[in-house]
Amino acid sequence: MKIELNNIGKKYEGRENFTIRNIDLEIDDKDFCVILGPSGCGKSTLLRMIAGLTSITEGDLYFGGKRMNSVEPKDRDIAMVFQSYALYPHMTVYENMAFSLKMRKERKSVIHERVLEAAELLKITDYLYSKPSEISGGQRQRVALGRAIVRKAGVFLMDEPLSNLDAKLREHMRVELVRLHQSLDTTSIYVTHDQTEAMTMATKIVLLDQGKVQQVGPPTLFYEKPANLFVAGFIGSPTMNIFNGEIKEGNFHSLEEDFVIEPKESDRELLKPFEGKKVAMGIRSERFIAGEAEKNAINVKVDVIEMLGKEQLLYCQFPNGKECVISEPGYFEYAVDEDHNFHLDLDGLHFFDAETTERIN
Amino acid sequence: MRYGTTIIDDIGNEHPRRNLRLAEMGVLEERLESEPKEKVAQIKSELKSLARGEHEYEKSLADMRAEEKAFLAKAPERKTAFEKTLTDSDAKIRKWSLEAMESAARVEFYEQHVELSYDYELLARTHRMMAEQLPEIASKRRQILDELNEVTDELERAKKEDQSQVMADFRQYREERLKKRNDEKAYLKKLYKEGQISSKAFANEKREKDLAASEDIRSRKQLLPIEMLTDRVRYLKHRLRQDEKQALTVLHSDIADLRRKTPIEISKRFPWVSYLTIPIPGLGQLILGQSVKSIFFFIGTLYAYLIAIPYALGRGNYRGQGLFGLISLAKDASRLDRSVIFMIEGVIAIILLMIAFLIFYQSYRDVHKNEQRMIKGIRINNWFETRTTASRSGFPYFASAPAALVTLFIVLLPIAVTVLISFTNYDPSHQSKFSWIGLANYKQIFLGQGIAGGPFWLITGWTVIWTLLATSLAIFIGFVLALLVNQDRIYGKRFFRTIYLLPWAVPAFITIMFFSIMFSPDGPLTNLLHQLTGQIINIKDSPWGTRIVLILLQGWLGSSYVFLLCTGILQSIPGDLYEAAKIDGATGFQQTRHITIPILLFQTAPLMIGQYTFNFNNFSIIYLFNGGGPFEPSKYGNLAGSSDLLISYIYKLTIEKQFQGIGAAITMIVSLVLIFFTWIGFSRSKSFREEKL
Amino acid sequence: MRKKKEKGLYLSDRPPLTPLKAVLLTISYILLFIYVFVILWPLAQIVFSSFNGSQDQYIRIGGTYEFSLKHFKYLFEETYFLNWVVNTIVIAVATALLTLLFVSFTGYAYSRYRFKGRKASLMAIMLIQTIPSFVGIVAYYTMHSIIAAVIPGFSRQMFLVLIYAGGGIASNTFILKGYIDSISTELDDAARIDGCGNLQVYRLIIMPIVRPMLAIIALWSFIGPFLDYMLPSILLSDPKQYTLATGLYTLITDVRNMHQPVFAAGGLLTALPIIILFIALQNQLVSGLASGAVKG
Repeated sequence: MKIELNNIGKKYEGRENFTIRNIDLEIDDKDFCVILGPSGCGKSTLLRMIAGLTSITEGDLYFGGKRMNSVEPKDRDIAMVFQSYALYPHMTVYENMAFSLKMRKERKSVIHERVLEAAELLKITDYLYSKPSEISGGQRQRVALGRAIVRKAGVFLMDEPLSNLDAKLREHMRVELVRLHQSLDTTSIYVTHDQTEAMTMATKIVLLDQGKVQQVGPPTLFYEKPANLFVAGFIGSPTMNIFNGEIKEGNFHSLEEDFVIEPKESDRELLKPFEGKKVAMGIRSERFIAGEAEKNAINVKVDVIEMLGKEQLLYCQFPNGKECVISEPGYFEYAVDEDHNFHLDLDGLHFFDAETTERIN
Repeated sequence: MRYGTTIIDDIGNEHPRRNLRLAEMGVLEERLESEPKEKVAQIKSELKSLARGEHEYEKSLADMRAEEKAFLAKAPERKTAFEKTLTDSDAKIRKWSLEAMESAARVEFYEQHVELSYDYELLARTHRMMAEQLPEIASKRRQILDELNEVTDELERAKKEDQSQVMADFRQYREERLKKRNDEKAYLKKLYKEGQISSKAFANEKREKDLAASEDIRSRKQLLPIEMLTDRVRYLKHRLRQDEKQALTVLHSDIADLRRKTPIEISKRFPWVSYLTIPIPGLGQLILGQSVKSIFFFIGTLYAYLIAIPYALGRGNYRGQGLFGLISLAKDASRLDRSVIFMIEGVIAIILLMIAFLIFYQSYRDVHKNEQRMIKGIRINNWFETRTTASRSGFPYFASAPAALVTLFIVLLPIAVTVLISFTNYDPSHQSKFSWIGLANYKQIFLGQGIAGGPFWLITGWTVIWTLLATSLAIFIGFVLALLVNQDRIYGKRFFRTIYLLPWAVPAFITIMFFSIMFSPDGPLTNLLHQLTGQIINIKDSPWGTRIVLILLQGWLGSSYVFLLCTGILQSIPGDLYEAAKIDGATGFQQTRHITIPILLFQTAPLMIGQYTFNFNNFSIIYLFNGGGPFEPSKYGNLAGSSDLLISYIYKLTIEKQFQGIGAAITMIVSLVLIFFTWIGFSRSKSFREEKL
Repeated sequence: MRKKKEKGLYLSDRPPLTPLKAVLLTISYILLFIYVFVILWPLAQIVFSSFNGSQDQYIRIGGTYEFSLKHFKYLFEETYFLNWVVNTIVIAVATALLTLLFVSFTGYAYSRYRFKGRKASLMAIMLIQTIPSFVGIVAYYTMHSIIAAVIPGFSRQMFLVLIYAGGGIASNTFILKGYIDSISTELDDAARIDGCGNLQVYRLIIMPIVRPMLAIIALWSFIGPFLDYMLPSILLSDPKQYTLATGLYTLITDVRNMHQPVFAAGGLLTALPIIILFIALQNQLVSGLASGAVKG
């Protein structure tokens, strides 16, 4: 089902300002849309508005072309998986999964069939008659999914469903969720603060901050072309290195670290209007090339080395104390306190307007 | 309030005015502030002429109204015309289709006049919505109706057919399934007997097998043709009701949404309705057009004028004179009328008036708010919106209303009466008629004067001693027992715990009465003491004897609870704390001193404060053991005994000796002190701090 | 599958017993058993005297003992004991039900809804909770005659129930609210998505989960009337209407029908079910009291 958000905004009673406002979003049928953002950015509010648990103050919400603003949650054709799973502790797994259909007075044979079907899909048939307290965290997670599946809903909403699992299981469930999404043919909306989940699972990411959409698009776009400084800093691990500087004669002059970069031709074009103005330059750790060069080079002191095996992260310091992270193949030999030369890959440079923080190139 | 050139809707968006007269006035008003003084007079006269309302716009609006009236008058004609085109026989579908067609006609009419007024825009958009959604609702109903008919027919047919074969199949399935379950259970039992699974797992698995079997059989039964069709009929009927309800709700809330987004223009700019209708709640709502809501407020009006106010004036009272009873206290009434009844009815009158006042205030606020919103341009809620908000945000009020009423009349009313009585001379010589005497009772008490006030300080002194000693003793015993029982090496913990629980579990009044018997002049314990000491010691006749026995008895009674509480806490102290202490070189005694006791004290402190307040007004033990005696008239007068606590003294004063005035005054003093102490205990408790009030 | 104990191996987690510790342990046991005696002796006396046929009117110790049920016979035939039992149970059940009815609504509303006046009324609830229940005794008697004049069938026992239930609303609301607070609101959300309305969320989801706490509240409201002497003694005047506490008291104060062994018999019958209840549910009862904070 296609979901459209039209200028959606929410103002809680008794508060002066809108928690989120002017959200315009289109989520296509069968998209796996991840709403990503730091805590307190309004992502849960947005999801709860889509679910109907929180009323919409302004704007329109459409499911498949139908306006949903005033439709009760139960009638919205949605299913939701909660962070704490929200399984009813006094019901068996079977009853938990059957509950929504029972409330809809669905036919008993249909209920039974659907519960069994979902249980088989999730491999929880053995626990159908256990209580949630008797099964493990991973199984509970499956039951929560099963409860959503039996509804055969058009929209699948998930509110940080993996945050209560341990790292190993989380990795496993990520894959399984994607597989499930593909087999169910529904539109999924997934809220998380974890960028790894977003990057690995989404077909479309919506990055929120301070109640505003920062960038929308497929995961690769976020890594390769962050729309502003916030996105640049939020996506990617280790965090992108950002340098403040000025454009002089088409070149980027770092303000404090004392190095000059000659951007590639296409970037020069775009940087022209910023001649003499403050600009921020970003570069990801893997875009540093080891070795000396005549231009676009820096000299830094290695401070800490994090060895990850196939690569190593070098936490380096400029003479003025500013830190930057450089990643190099694991077999290169570095030692702490050594000075090293690197030069920058011109194709991997990101330029941002220092005033508006918006992307330039 | 100025008109301004724009109005705002509920969301806060600005809209230009469409009422040209008001828009012009808005412009003029703005100019009034910016233009030089010479022009002021001229602008003011222009404003005045505009205010009288002879404007082009008004004329076109009046024309439009006439046109609208003519158009609406033709509605019945249109209806008959439409009806001929309808083929469906279902009443609801016919009704909706007719409404949809009429709406379509209205859309066409109103859309030409949208620019004239926001009202017409709203009408146009509302009818458009109805014209779009109603046919859909109708067709959905037709679809389900058709299906329902089909299934019902099928069911009828199935009922006539022979079902014996499928029934036999089902029975066979059931038998097989049950057999399978029994086999599974037998296997489980075998496992359990062999000790491979625990008894809990065995019970759990057994329950699960039962559930699985019954669920399977039930769902297999659902596959029987008749069962299946009946279920489908039930489901379709449910859908018929539910879908309609839901679709209409959506329609109504979409319309409500339009109302939120379409402003309203009125020429009023002072909320006079709210002020004028203060005396009659409901009238204001009616004037503003919220008729259903007004009914509820009118009920409030009826309550105020037919119940609260007449009652306060003395009508319909049991004996009293409403509010005036509080002043007169039945002074000039007949011989049989009692002051206390007049007083209580006076207080009831106050409560009823307060409720009435609340209704008046709420109504005023409601009208005032709505009127001001309308002046700004916001449409007030229609009944559908009011009902929706009331059922959402009104729930907590409805849910707690009964409890609030009971608390008001059963808890607060008696408290208020007690407060009032403490300012009267309600005593044996003024049982039927008493009067206000100001603070005289309190003065008597503080100075320790009179027959009733005399022993106050003596009793207070003993009450304090009693509270401290009896509670501390109980806490000490409970504490020590808990520490002893919960040592590592003590066996039979369960046994000790069950025995030590008994003093708490046996109803206290039984134990107290029984001890009272045993200490009576010829009682078993008195005899025992006689045999042991060789002297006849009559505990109940000796003030200090009684007091000491009371304290010991309370220690006996109260230790159980403390013991249980401490045991619970001791068991929850994590073991690694002790292990850490052991590694640090603490001996067993040091562990107890530095870990166990501080934790116990810290966690039980608020509850122990509760124990002190409990004993402060532990009426039962004093009254039932020795009736507060023994009596020492030289020290205590005739009203109190030497073991009386303040609470039992109050009981005697008010219930037995009829010194209600002084009794009430002492009650007030005691209550204030108690409230103070419990409040301290409470404000330190966890639940309070977490609430962050 | 029990492991055989191997001799010579020290299996305990604890260090070996030193002589000093052995002495301390012995003292502990002695103290504990002394207190067991202190508790059991008087209670045993109640049991003995109730079955001792050689005593009438007064209880004596060391006299002759003769097993007999005559005191129980007297209790059932000559006193209103059965009336008292029925009265007490009716009052207790009514109190428990009424309390549950009031409190489950208020507790749920205060826990789950943010409404105007919530904080103010919570403060009020806590203040009311601290006011001792005896404050109103002056007014109760007269109040009853006024209510009875308005509602003819309103008996004193009904009034007693109202006082018990009404007095418990404040503290019980607070207890239940605290308990419901500990349940994740995501459950409510899930139920709403599954199609529950306000009341259904409570009835189908919250209530089954808070059932243990509701049971504790009901239990305490039920036990209250069994233990209270003061209020029935003020309100009830007809011996037939008495509750157990007031009724049994007449057996030892009134010289005319003073029968101490019969009192013991009645006390025994009253205490037994309550003792069983307390022993079976001790943990729940203690936790209920503890969460009720400090109501005096």
